Amino acid sequence: MPVLPKIKPAAVGNWADDRLDASTPLRRVFNKVFPDHWSFMLGEIALYSFIVLLLTGTFLTLFFTPSPTEVVYDGAYTRLQGIEMSKAYDSALNISFEVRGGLVMRQIHHWAALMFVAAMLVHMFRTFFTGAFRRPRELNWVIGVTLFVLGMFEGFLGYSLPDDALSGTGLRIASAIIYSIPVVGTWVSFALFGGEFPGEFILERFYIIHVLILPAAILALVGAHMGLLVKQKHTQFPGPGRTEQNVVGHRMFPGFAAKAGGFFMLVFGVIAALGGLVQINPIWLFGPYEAAVVSAGSQPDFYMMWLDGAVRLMPAWEFRSFGYTIPAMFWPSVVLAGVMFTLAGAYPWLEQKYSKDRGHHNLLQRPRDAPARTGLGMMAISFFIVLLLSGGNDIIADKFDISLNATTWAGRIGLFVVPPLAYFFTYRICLGLQQHDREVLAHGVESGMIRRLPSGQFIEVHQPLGEADEHGHTHLEYVGAAVPKKMNKLGAGGRAVRGFFIPVEKPADVAKSIDERESKPSELTGASSSDSGNY
Amino acid sequence: MSEQHDHGDGTSEFDPTDPKHSQFDLVREGARRDGVEIVHYQPRFAVAGTKREKRIERMIAFLLLLTGIAAVAFIVVYVAWPYEYEQGYHLDKLYTPLLGFTMGAALFALGAAIIVWVKKLMPEEVSVQDRHDNNPNLDERALTAATLMSAADETGIKRRPLLKGALAIGAAPLGLMALVPLGALIKDPHPDGKKSPLFTTGFAEGVRLVRDDGTPIRPGEVSAGGLETVFPGIPEGTSLKYADSPALLIHLREEDAADFKPRKGFENAHYGNYFAYSKICTHAGCPASLYEQQTNRLLCPCHQSQFDVKDSCRPIFGPATRRLPQLPITVDEEGYFVATSDFKEAIGPAFWERP
Amino acid sequence: MSASAASRVGGRIRKTAGKRPGRAGRLVRFVVLVIALGLFGGAYATFAPTGQADETSSSIAVREGQKLYNEGCITCHGQNAQGVKDRGPSLIGVGSASVEFQVETGRMPLARQEAQAARKPPAYNDEQTDQLAAYIQSIGGGPQIPDGDLRGDEALGGELFRVNCSSCHAFSSNGGALSSGKYAPSLEPANDREIYAAMLTGPQNMPVFGDNQLTPDEKKAIIAYVQTQKTDADPGGWGIGRTGPVPEMVVIFMVGIVVCLFGALWIAGKS
Repeated sequence: MPVLPKIKPAAVGNWADDRLDASTPLRRVFNKVFPDHWSFMLGEIALYSFIVLLLTGTFLTLFFTPSPTEVVYDGAYTRLQGIEMSKAYDSALNISFEVRGGLVMRQIHHWAALMFVAAMLVHMFRTFFTGAFRRPRELNWVIGVTLFVLGMFEGFLGYSLPDDALSGTGLRIASAIIYSIPVVGTWVSFALFGGEFPGEFILERFYIIHVLILPAAILALVGAHMGLLVKQKHTQFPGPGRTEQNVVGHRMFPGFAAKAGGFFMLVFGVIAALGGLVQINPIWLFGPYEAAVVSAGSQPDFYMMWLDGAVRLMPAWEFRSFGYTIPAMFWPSVVLAGVMFTLAGAYPWLEQKYSKDRGHHNLLQRPRDAPARTGLGMMAISFFIVLLLSGGNDIIADKFDISLNATTWAGRIGLFVVPPLAYFFTYRICLGLQQHDREVLAHGVESGMIRRLPSGQFIEVHQPLGEADEHGHTHLEYVGAAVPKKMNKLGAGGRAVRGFFIPVEKPADVAKSIDERESKPSELTGASSSDSGNY
Repeated sequence: MSEQHDHGDGTSEFDPTDPKHSQFDLVREGARRDGVEIVHYQPRFAVAGTKREKRIERMIAFLLLLTGIAAVAFIVVYVAWPYEYEQGYHLDKLYTPLLGFTMGAALFALGAAIIVWVKKLMPEEVSVQDRHDNNPNLDERALTAATLMSAADETGIKRRPLLKGALAIGAAPLGLMALVPLGALIKDPHPDGKKSPLFTTGFAEGVRLVRDDGTPIRPGEVSAGGLETVFPGIPEGTSLKYADSPALLIHLREEDAADFKPRKGFENAHYGNYFAYSKICTHAGCPASLYEQQTNRLLCPCHQSQFDVKDSCRPIFGPATRRLPQLPITVDEEGYFVATSDFKEAIGPAFWERP
Repeated sequence: MSASAASRVGGRIRKTAGKRPGRAGRLVRFVVLVIALGLFGGAYATFAPTGQADETSSSIAVREGQKLYNEGCITCHGQNAQGVKDRGPSLIGVGSASVEFQVETGRMPLARQEAQAARKPPAYNDEQTDQLAAYIQSIGGGPQIPDGDLRGDEALGGELFRVNCSSCHAFSSNGGALSSGKYAPSLEPANDREIYAAMLTGPQNMPVFGDNQLTPDEKKAIIAYVQTQKTDADPGGWGIGRTGPVPEMVVIFMVGIVVCLFGALWIAGKS
């Protein structure tokens, strides 16, 4: 029996450091401080979803054939027995019904793709609403917008690979969108498809872009995105001890890294649970793609659905002259997408120009403190939601008994009415919240206790937040940090009331505490969050 | 237990090999050298071994045990549960849900265990790190700029205009050379003018209209108030090679046919009450095949364009801008439907060169 | 014409012109007639199809059907089922298949004039429905649903369904929206006969798929496809209505992102 050499961790460390001389940079990474806030973890959801995509995607590549060659189905799904279909569709059915665990892998892959884009969207809006894109982080913002666009297209390519009737219809529409580009549209489409739609090459080209080119691009950009984050350090909300020149939080190792690892498991767990418990993209119901086949209620996945909604709402306005046409499709697809992404990408500079604020910012703004920006963001969100709903308007019309024509008109009008309304209401709400912050800073927290004055007047007792003058007013400046508005948020000893959904309350044992006080007249021990009393 | 706030006064004074330093002293010094000050560091439990600590340990152990059990369950299900497809409600339909459930439970439990460990067992900590940013080292910047610019000086490109020009003339085509192979992708969409693929389909004079299974169609085989999807009766006519060719053969009722308004130039394109139109929507190319036989509308399900069949498929709602092209048909000597020519215009979605 | 030619042609020529038969001859002829009638009638009674008995019961059905019609249908469809302008179309030629479909699914009698008649609990039981159907079939003829098993080749049915039916009824057979408030209903509550009848008669805005367009075998194939798809459990878990990316979007935001958000709140809180 060979005796395994006893390897001490120190020996390994010495071996590595002798050759790499990495002690200092390694420790510098370990000691990096990251601030703590739930909203800073949204980008991580996207990152972990991407890792899940890479893992499950690799599994799928072992079984998928992206070939348009026609074969006859001879698998387990009885309703497609003997049907002619492409090898791509056949291999996707094979993964779903023949490969052990293939269906759950396919579904996890698709749910992870939705989670990836949804998380990027939520993260993007968090970054926007808190002003994290301001100098010096404009470049990271642009990288982020690019990642979002790449993610959209990667997802589109992915669900088009199985060559089923639903995604094939989407591919047909994509070809029409490319045709609609003036002057070069037909040339670009013929180059991409290798001829007229659908051609013989598109599936294989999509495959290599989907498994190699775009993942490589996304990985590189994610690396740059996170590298910039580490170099510039994460932003943080204003608060006690926090300045533009520091970061207050946890060191990465071990605390923050462990939390990140735990969160990775949580996100992966959620995606895996969805992948098994909720069906997604049931391609066997759609059948293979044929040019004459379509279904009622056809939509692309949500990250493309908003563009589909715009295409549905566009009125039939086409420009024709001198033997040339600019098709109506051009405006709600190519132009709208181009404008939206350019505006999004250029936003840091647009805001700088308008606000004249070219300063260096490491502290975030609460959304209420930037009402114009928050209003604009809500405008964008409401615009996006109207388009999303319009993309599903036939489903909505069918399930809620609304006329289809009415939903189209509702979308057309809503697209121009809802965003300005959203801006207006958001702006007013932000101003109201700002006012309330300053009111609490001046008058203190409402304690909920009513007292009757000798004059007969009822007043509510307020808990001042600082030194109060004779009128009970404090003169505290608003510094951009969250202002405590409830009695149980006061105190530096941590949360006074435990419990998340319902408070964990134990009735105070009055007799016991009196005994304690009488027998041990020492001060209460320092705030340990485990044994807080209720006051 | 709070650590003494013992800041080292200078790096040169701190000796990591000194045995009187505790491990945490070393950690603190390392952090200090990285610009991090650990301002608050406190174990969660002032006294080790309390009931509460043990309770938390048990909870974490339970969660880890759950992880293990769920992972084993996953493996057992994966290997042993029946998964071959069977129509109806059978055990195989539980294969995917069970796999997802066990995998999700295992991962979730592990994540929860790690997080509870960090939140409840590991010491509380607040650290502050200096950013040292927005303070560009202008000296360094000047030195680096000089280093970069000296490259230009060393090559002497500024004072060698002949080389500058030669470089430009030589390098530009090289750059183009790298991109040009992508040109292999380029395919002329209009090699034959009006006979190019975008303007032609599989139909031509004498080509029969056939069903999906290839059989030709007689009048009377499409019911009044009904429609049939037809394809060109040529080899591979029903395949994706002729994805632009599918058409709808509509048999209007007598009273609807009486109201029919033919398009100019298409007065004889129909055969009796039978009309053939391209199925490919002129908006984005989906099959526009929802036929409402009482209102005589064709609805395309993709973007809700609606076409009025009685007005020769003129678009009446939605984003489509042009009529569905009509296929001129008649009946041949054997009594089957044939096209008398190809569609008279490009079918499907519009493009720049389409007049 | 000569006698032989006439007899070849099959005409009969009296061989004896002018003479009338005697008394015995008339008696013989009478007896022969009676025997012939008896034989003929007996043979008929023996060999004729027993529909004779059904014919009687079916005429009862027709009569009962007419009574039901005159109570419940006449206001919109007219006294002789010829239709009333702006209220109800003519039922001449719609056949028992139409009646069975409309009445069994409760669409008829119509609750009110609107964009589309909706399925609702039927007003007549099966026997009454058959009677109404018999009546309408008797006065105008039209398509009829065949008896017996209405299932066929489900794979062929799938092909046909996707080309002809899914554009309105969706891949999932859960229905879809048509223009201006109309809709293609979900096939979930439909039985075999109702699906057959709908294809055959083209109710309301559904196109007509006559037997010369979709043969009975093809119709049975489609029915087999639809019904087996309906009764098949979803292999991937909860099917969320088999409605595609819209419910998938709802799930990822309302479930996926929300759970992850709660996870993030648990980990980092709002410190």
